[in-house]
Amino acid sequence: MMRQLLVFALQRVREVEVTEADDGVDGLRKLAGQRFDLIITDINMPIMDGLKLVKRIRSDEVHKDVPIIIITTEGSQEDRSRALALGANAYITKPIQAPQVIAKVKELLKLD
Amino acid sequence: MDEDNPSKTTRPSAADVTRERETFVRTFLRKGVEFTEELLRENDDLRARVALLESDNAALRTQVKSDDAMRDVLRTIERLEQEKRSLLDRSSQLEQLTRRHEGRYAAIEQELNDLANLYVASFQLHSTLKPGTVLQHIKELLAQLVGAERFCVYVLSDDGTEAIPVGSEGLLESELLPIKVGQGSVGTVCATGVSSVKQGDPLGEGSVESPLAVLPMQVDGQTVGVISIVALLEQKHAWVQVDQELFHLLGSHAAAALLAAHLYQRQPDLLSALAGLGDGLK
Repeated sequence: MMRQLLVFALQRVREVEVTEADDGVDGLRKLAGQRFDLIITDINMPIMDGLKLVKRIRSDEVHKDVPIIIITTEGSQEDRSRALALGANAYITKPIQAPQVIAKVKELLKLD
Repeated sequence: MDEDNPSKTTRPSAADVTRERETFVRTFLRKGVEFTEELLRENDDLRARVALLESDNAALRTQVKSDDAMRDVLRTIERLEQEKRSLLDRSSQLEQLTRRHEGRYAAIEQELNDLANLYVASFQLHSTLKPGTVLQHIKELLAQLVGAERFCVYVLSDDGTEAIPVGSEGLLESELLPIKVGQGSVGTVCATGVSSVKQGDPLGEGSVESPLAVLPMQVDGQTVGVISIVALLEQKHAWVQVDQELFHLLGSHAAAALLAAHLYQRQPDLLSALAGLGDGLK
């Protein structure tokens, strides 16, 4: 559901093209095939959680500097600090507010 | 005059005349030269005076021009100051207009966001005919859109006397017990079909017995179950506008989706399930 909401919201940003992944492993598979400018992930995901995914992305030569936004229900300061320490650029808590996500995407991609 | 014969006049000699003439001419020429030199001196003086006067004149003209230029500059400055005031007024008006538009834009963005949430929620609920998946979508909707951390979904028993917990998040097994219709917050909503939503900011935490919100799930005005929201995520302190719309959506669409999925499960073949529909619609 979050993915659908995000896709719906990001389609309103003209300069952005969205590729979806089912989970962290699927995300890594897609990253191997193509270069992306920004990555959005949850933390609580099956197979590979978001924090492990962030760690893997930051060790990837092609995507190590790509901005990463985490969107999650985990709202504690500890979770936020841990995610940012691993290399995430932004940490947004649910319930999702699409304008907030769009603003952060535009900020990190340096769009108007 | 002759000195020996004073009565007799002596005529000057030619040499004397010549000498006198020469003396006269020399004197005349000398006086002429002196006069000329004096004229030249006066001329030089006059030239010097003219030069001085011309210099003074030029300085005065420059001064006048400078004064004129200064006046022009001052006039230009005044005109520019007026233009600046006019531009600042215009800028201020435009800023106010921009702020109004920004406010309106933000409000429209929020409405659009809320509508998108409702659309996605509705789409998800009706996108499947598997009861388990419908329930999963209800739980996702509660967690991701409403921001509920602990909640339970109940459906009425076959005889309509109890609300049976069928799905939950964040609650202990021991808390998931059937509730008699008419008893407690959950039972009351089952009986009346009227939602019960606590207000306040911050809302604080509820309990299974006294949840933050109990929402009836209804089909054709008949209550078939309830959703009980016990606690919200740490970062959510109060309800927001879209929550009321989501409650309304859950109340009607969740029940319909569950019922449809349940009925379809009894007749998994779609075409068989449609048997008689055409006649029913005539």
